Amino acid sequence: MSTGVVQSEQYRNSQKRKDTFISIFIGIFAFVWIFPILWTVWTSLRPYNDIISYGIFSWPRHITLDNYFNAIREMQIGKYLLNSLIVTVPSVILTLFFGSLVAFVVTRYQYKFNLTLLLLFTAGNMLPIVLTYIPVFWMFIWVGELFGNRNLLYNNYGGLILVHVGFQVGFATFVLSSYMKTIPKEISESATIDGANVFRHYWNVILPLLRPALAALSVLMTTWIYNEFFWALVLMSDDAKRPITSALRRLQGQYVTDFNLLAAGAIIAASPTVIMFFILRKQFIAGLTLGSTKG
Amino acid sequence: MSEEKNVVSRRSVLKGAAIGGAALATGGALSAESASAATRLKGSTVKWTTRGGGATGDKIAKAVNDAFTKKTGAKVVAQQVNSDDFQNNFAQIMQGSPDDAFGWMAGYRSNHFGEMGLLADLTREINRLKSTLPTAAIQGATSPVTKKPYILPTTYYPWGLHYRKSMVKDIGMNPEKINNWDDFVKLMTLTQKKGLVGYSLGAKGGWEAMGTFDILNARVNGYKYHIDLLNGRAKWTDARTKETFKYFAQLIPFMNDNVMDISWDGMRDLLLQKKTGAMMMGSWFANDFKAKSQADYDDLWVVPFPEINPKFGVDTIDAPLDGISVAANGKNVTGGKALAEFWASPEGITEAVKAGDTNIYVSKSFDTSSYDAFNKQKLAVLASAKNIMFFLDRDARGDFAGPVVGPAIQNFIKKPSDINKILENVQAQWDALPKN
Repeated sequence: MSTGVVQSEQYRNSQKRKDTFISIFIGIFAFVWIFPILWTVWTSLRPYNDIISYGIFSWPRHITLDNYFNAIREMQIGKYLLNSLIVTVPSVILTLFFGSLVAFVVTRYQYKFNLTLLLLFTAGNMLPIVLTYIPVFWMFIWVGELFGNRNLLYNNYGGLILVHVGFQVGFATFVLSSYMKTIPKEISESATIDGANVFRHYWNVILPLLRPALAALSVLMTTWIYNEFFWALVLMSDDAKRPITSALRRLQGQYVTDFNLLAAGAIIAASPTVIMFFILRKQFIAGLTLGSTKG
Repeated sequence: MSEEKNVVSRRSVLKGAAIGGAALATGGALSAESASAATRLKGSTVKWTTRGGGATGDKIAKAVNDAFTKKTGAKVVAQQVNSDDFQNNFAQIMQGSPDDAFGWMAGYRSNHFGEMGLLADLTREINRLKSTLPTAAIQGATSPVTKKPYILPTTYYPWGLHYRKSMVKDIGMNPEKINNWDDFVKLMTLTQKKGLVGYSLGAKGGWEAMGTFDILNARVNGYKYHIDLLNGRAKWTDARTKETFKYFAQLIPFMNDNVMDISWDGMRDLLLQKKTGAMMMGSWFANDFKAKSQADYDDLWVVPFPEINPKFGVDTIDAPLDGISVAANGKNVTGGKALAEFWASPEGITEAVKAGDTNIYVSKSFDTSSYDAFNKQKLAVLASAKNIMFFLDRDARGDFAGPVVGPAIQNFIKKPSDINKILENVQAQWDALPKN
């Protein structure tokens, strides 16, 4: 028996060593991740003049919050936050609605093309958006001209929402379908026996069961769409309609860019999602690991 | 002021022949046209885009646009966009639903899009402004292909050799007398002996060092050769081009070690922190010196790049020309043209200057009497030249300047001994470009 104790002690020691090693490893990576953010905060607290006079690595002569006040004023935060809201909320709701519809069909009903359909939706998600930018742009213009109004989709909130829904629905379908597979088939069967039609089956039986998954996904989607910058930039020609992420670009001049002011602006623009993360931590983690137990 | 006018007229004489018949409009047709335009204008809405400029940019735009509204009765809806974003997405913006008029840049950047039919022909407007514009500016705004102007020229700024007067005095030289190549080399040598950077350069973005190449080529081989070279009429493998790079190679030992790591703002910081003797740059950064202190600003100086070949003296300068263009796909092209014309007219300029515009306008009616010493010197630098280049990435086609010449200059700075191979490669890439 004593050998067993020695063995487990050895085992424990090696486990301890492994843990320390992993902790150090994680520590290094955490530092690498957090460093640029800390650097941004640090930069945002220093006046521009300090940097150009003494260099970026110099010891600070002044620490001030002026950059934040100036950024709030110059970015016209209220207007652009509202734009972000106008784009993000419908995008998330529509993405979840369409995503759950597709997921519902591919998991609850047996069709020949179920897997193909699911693959198609997921594969579309893999395309880098810069690749699809020019075709999407022309599609928007042509569809607009078909109805006699170029701005039907282009330079319009509706178009931007449509693009977000289109690009996010693949991921939503993927996650929701793997979650739906964990819902026992018997529930669906009894619903069918009780005479529920397809829509009732979706709306009254499956959707309520999806609630945790939808909550988790909506948090993730909101962050992604809120942080999105590219589409808003290229599909909105009116600056006044662009979301908060592009308002940051207002802080950049044609020649001279005050990076300290920009750093303050970046932190302001990023803060809603960071705050959201700390409040809804659980949903975030749930969203990232959703359906991972059942493939 | 009168000096400036003389210069302009000298330029006009020299360039007069070049523009030839940049379209003619008869007086009668003109007034009838403008009368109907005026009635159409009243009550219509014109959309305007300001490229960058922050709060000052908005203030200037508002002042000029309000004056336009007061004069014509047309409403102006203005917005400000990030300059880089606007430039990078320009083709798409113009093909979508663009604002009617906007600040833009002369050279290839307006000619190319004008030739594609995305910018409106401004022949009639430029003819009406003819008496206030120097001929060189009109020529600069006119496409050499279609002979039509797609931009109304407004402002420009000089690229010159910048240094601190105090530092030049420190090494025992006269800051007012950096005239030729020998003076220049002496300045760099003495500065370097003090443990500082003799000549600072940045090439991170690929375009910054083009300023040095432009001016060296113009000083060694003259304006005409430079423009011919950029438009394929001279060869990059020519012995004359190689001669320019021989001078460029002489500068490299005086440069900072981190040329590839810094952009123009890194160069500015070196001068601001008194770590460099001289640098070749556009004068737009002067306000940063003022922001640090008045003493720093007073210390800053700019001169034309020193003479190399006496045959050409200092007769050429890089002075990128900006102006107002009108989108051909805009909703209100008539309104856009009228607004553009107003911005480029003496009335519009007066409003802009009153609202705090510190740019140098090309217009002959532009009053510079209230200029400070540095700005007066900028005018003197502009006046010293009779040929104006617009900078390499505006004088040469866009698919050549940025993707080919930029990296070539970077490679040259990294390994000057490779110059023959680099120039052969540039020529080969030029030859491979589709021509129409």
